Amino acid sequence: MSSPTLSPDLTRAGGEVGYALNRTLVITSRVLRQLSHDRRFLALSLVGPIVIVFFLKLFFDSLEGPGLVVSRYIVPVGAFIVHFLTYILCSLALVRERTSQTLARMFVNGFRRTEIILGYLLAYTLLATLQSLIVLVELAFFFNLNYSFGTQASIYLIIWLLAVISIALGIFLSNFARNEGQMLPTIPLIILPSVFLSGMLIAVDKLPEWVQWISRLTPLFYANNVIQKLIKPTGNIGDDWGSFIGLLVYGLIIMLLASLTLQERE
Amino acid sequence: MTEVTAVEIKGLRKLYGKFEALKGINLEVEPGTIFGLLGANGAGKTTMIKILVGSARLSSGEVRVMGLNPFKETARLRAITGYMPQAPALYEDLSARDNLSFFGAAHHLPHLKQRVAEVLEFTKLTSRQNDPVYAFSGGMKQRVSLACALIHQPQVLFLDEPTAGIDPRLRVAFWQHFRELARQGNTLFVSTHLMDEALLCDKLAVMRDGVVLVSDTPKNIMRMGRSRVHIWRGAEEKVFTVTNYPSQLPSLLQDYQLDPAITKIELEEDTLETIVLELINAKQPEMAEVAHV
Repeated sequence: MSSPTLSPDLTRAGGEVGYALNRTLVITSRVLRQLSHDRRFLALSLVGPIVIVFFLKLFFDSLEGPGLVVSRYIVPVGAFIVHFLTYILCSLALVRERTSQTLARMFVNGFRRTEIILGYLLAYTLLATLQSLIVLVELAFFFNLNYSFGTQASIYLIIWLLAVISIALGIFLSNFARNEGQMLPTIPLIILPSVFLSGMLIAVDKLPEWVQWISRLTPLFYANNVIQKLIKPTGNIGDDWGSFIGLLVYGLIIMLLASLTLQERE
Repeated sequence: MTEVTAVEIKGLRKLYGKFEALKGINLEVEPGTIFGLLGANGAGKTTMIKILVGSARLSSGEVRVMGLNPFKETARLRAITGYMPQAPALYEDLSARDNLSFFGAAHHLPHLKQRVAEVLEFTKLTSRQNDPVYAFSGGMKQRVSLACALIHQPQVLFLDEPTAGIDPRLRVAFWQHFRELARQGNTLFVSTHLMDEALLCDKLAVMRDGVVLVSDTPKNIMRMGRSRVHIWRGAEEKVFTVTNYPSQLPSLLQDYQLDPAITKIELEEDTLETIVLELINAKQPEMAEVAHV
């Protein structure tokens, strides 16, 4: 009796998936190697959040007064710090790939759009995982956030997800920039407005109705909604499934857009 | 069975907005040959190469590389073509070895380590293989870039000014290797602005302003030049310009009937540079100045 064999088409398809996965990991490994060689960049990426959170501690200490619930602000601000840093670091790295023509060389050598995006996403997610952890541990330490392990883990998950989405957002928007100079204006235009529009400082329903729609275009809006529920006593992710799913869907849409807009050809 | 043409270009046009970078190019490159693109900066050489490797879109026309359409059969094309861009396009914070391993890994080479070692050896980079590329000179970066293009042993190599910034000795070694690759049946499509390199090609296309002015063998292009015959009778020098000296020289000399007073005859042929400049100058004088610079 002959052993079962896959049809040539299926074998080829399986091989292609394997090759694609392999090429994705090759890109991830290369980006991580670059990051490890650039110790100054790595140090700044990891020390940056520590310094910002420390200044945040000084800021909130001077604000402290009756009725001020620090955690209502501090946890979303922590999420914003990770959001901002991961966005800017990844987007600049990809723009650098474009200006140095290594992106074009990757395509010519057979790497594909999805592989490049996933490769970058994986590598920078590793960095973002560390950044999220540093921010959360430091926040807990400085602000005595005595949440249960489950709440801490849930907050971490939301900040981490926001970081991954920020990387995808960085990749997506960098597709429209020809150089680093064109990337920088996206910070005041896209990232900073989310501080005021996401509900982090004031509730979104207090904003004009048309602005509320813009709020929904920022990932921080969804992350902040879930975090606000989580930091309440007995709060959990299930208290706002809508925002949690909104965050996931937002991420998927951005990844899809990033993949579709990454130009292979001039 | 007829052999497939290595590179086939029909009516190729490329527009950048309103600027027409390529104006209806037609070219054919036979397999196993070295084809040179010669022209001043802005002639359209890089644009043409980018289209052929599928890195830039065409506005109209048709291109084929080994019978493959770069825009529809991209994966197959990339497995058999190598591209060395004008800029080094390398990861400067990584070593030469890391760069080669990365680009080689895209092709799933079975003996990648061995192949990396071979290419490093050929480009004389073995002793510096672990140094970061940012510490390299311009010429060394060019060598790493060429090594990246050769890593997967492509059938067709597109080299955009491959020897820019390379010292003369290594340039000779590069061209010996190019010739060896062509002898093995590989096709090389090389852009250059160096006349001595152009003469090493099997066939040459002279470009100006998005147009191919002439496409022929260097020998035939050289025949388009003129020769000047300097004849001295004592201290008196006469100069005759001939377009085909093998047939015109005898009749020219007959006028002198082997005059014993003739003391010296000198033949001065146009160089390829002169011919190319005249071709460029023929239709657009200001371009000749650019080419000359």
